[in-house]
Amino acid sequence: MIATLDSNRRWRRIFLIVGGIVAAYALLAPLTSLDAAQSANVPLLADRLWFRIATIIAMFVVMATAWNIIGGITGYAAFGNVAFFGIGAYTTGMLVAKAKWPFLVSLPLAPLFAAAFAALVGLPLLRLRGHYFAVASLGVGVAVGELVQNIDYGGQPLFGGASGLFLPIYSIDNRGLYFFYLMVAAAAVSIAVTWWVLRSRFGYGLIAIRENEEAAAVLGVNTTAYKVAAFALSAALTGLAGGIFSQWNVFINQDNAFPIEYNVQMILMALLGGTGTVFGPATGAVLLQLLIQFLGGSLPITFDIPFVSAAARPIVAQVILGLLLVGVVIFVPRGVIDFFGGRSRLSLSYLRRSLRETSL
Amino acid sequence: MANFVQLVILGLLAGGVYVAVGVGFGLVWGVLNIVNLAHGALVIVGGYITWQLFAALHIDPFLTLPVDAVALFVLGYVVQRGVINRIIRAPLLFTFLLTFGINLVIINILLLIFGSDFRSVTPTYSGQGLEFGSVVIPYVALTSLGAALLLAAALAFVLNRTRIGLAINAIAADRDAAQLVGIDLRHAYAVTYGLGAACAGVAGGLIAMTQAITPTAGEPYTLQAFVVVILGGLGRVSATVVGGLAFGLVEAFGQSIPGSGSVFANAIAFGLMVLVLVTRPQGLMGRLR
Repeated sequence: MIATLDSNRRWRRIFLIVGGIVAAYALLAPLTSLDAAQSANVPLLADRLWFRIATIIAMFVVMATAWNIIGGITGYAAFGNVAFFGIGAYTTGMLVAKAKWPFLVSLPLAPLFAAAFAALVGLPLLRLRGHYFAVASLGVGVAVGELVQNIDYGGQPLFGGASGLFLPIYSIDNRGLYFFYLMVAAAAVSIAVTWWVLRSRFGYGLIAIRENEEAAAVLGVNTTAYKVAAFALSAALTGLAGGIFSQWNVFINQDNAFPIEYNVQMILMALLGGTGTVFGPATGAVLLQLLIQFLGGSLPITFDIPFVSAAARPIVAQVILGLLLVGVVIFVPRGVIDFFGGRSRLSLSYLRRSLRETSL
Repeated sequence: MANFVQLVILGLLAGGVYVAVGVGFGLVWGVLNIVNLAHGALVIVGGYITWQLFAALHIDPFLTLPVDAVALFVLGYVVQRGVINRIIRAPLLFTFLLTFGINLVIINILLLIFGSDFRSVTPTYSGQGLEFGSVVIPYVALTSLGAALLLAAALAFVLNRTRIGLAINAIAADRDAAQLVGIDLRHAYAVTYGLGAACAGVAGGLIAMTQAITPTAGEPYTLQAFVVVILGGLGRVSATVVGGLAFGLVEAFGQSIPGSGSVFANAIAFGLMVLVLVTRPQGLMGRLR
């Protein structure tokens, strides 16, 4: 028993040290100028592609952490959070491109709009439970994307239509660096918000709803208000990521502002890391996004998949991703933070126990 | 008036496909409590089997439907027995993600085998139809509706008149009690999913006759199946039949809205679904449980 505890502590320490070094490197390396890094042959963060990937990872940290508030802490399996990402992106996009507002003035309106929309649809939707809520929210996600692309006003597409929306390029030195830090700041905000939620009366109410909604109501938790607030909070953070994305990417359309696969990716990330925890979704987001980029061949460190031609590679990468999804769901239902965080040890018996718990 | 009649007929005929797409999905959901996100991918597998048999061996597409059903039943049985049974006691999020993973694997394997080209099945009689004045009834759509209703009837027969069907009903009513009276849950679950997949396969065969398919074309059918089952109400085949026909009608009228009605097909479908969910959660035909 004591030996187990010691080894758990050791794992936890290793995880914290390695995680800390990686995080510090990822945050500080870009500060040295890109050209200097390139000439010194510093790996990873030296080239612009990797820079882009790092920003995308931070974006998914925001989305997975935000999803965790409604999906992990409150226990409502939202499958349409990408709608809030898109609404945030289009809010900032419209204000910057059409109304000619400065970016930093229009950015705060992205989370505001997303939260308002979430509160509006949340009132009827959050009356539904289980599968019904999951697919109704998925429906909202699909429908919003379709409406944004197709709504006409006076014969003109209101939001840029199928050809999308172009934003003027934000003129600032080191633009890539700027948006990377902006996205990292958003990630830090969402993690801090989660930390606060889990320690507040509000958070205890949400956990009570997840464990037993009727009992929570009997104990005096205003379940409707709590659920809607959690949904809106989740939407606000997701919308913030969308707002930053639109100015960073300069071009938004239905495909990149409302990608349905993001819905599943953010949930998988939260699940992989550990739902209901502060750092779990962020950990899962980094791991899974790195893996996706790695399989897709975008990382500087790359590899050849045996027997697979370059053309078939992205498809095979998707197959591997799907198999991984199946494996994670079956074998690590409590997320990797369970053993990285020192609560359990990763072993064969752990996997076998996970399997037995849910198997028929 | 003729226009209205035409719309009603086209809506009901299109509803036939939705019935076929919906019954298997509703069965899996009602009995196994799984929202099967791989349903659309299974539909497309059926479509490709029909296309392959038609293109390579020139078999009439309607005669390929039994092949679709048998092949997909085997596939579904294996998937449920080998994979989904392992997490059947986990929270719903896990079954969601698991079936999405299966969906991803199936779609991309299809992409590896068939590529991303559009494939369509065009027997000699496609494009022809019965004409009554200005009202046209296409042969393919009419036969599809018949096949879909036959499929629903066959499923209802299996569920209500056979030994395994009664076992499935018993599981849907109370899983633990069913196990106590000696029903082999693993087998019965696998058969249930297999039946659901078989229905999806037949639906895919029908769909391949009216529109071109690609490996990635399945996702809308998962969503439509969901809407159809919600509309009709969970738990009975007949309710899904009503839901499918109603959905076909709604879609036909939605698309006829002047302007850009057709591009809002998903928005209309989901708006309708959310409306039904919020106002009448048991569906049009459902009973309160």
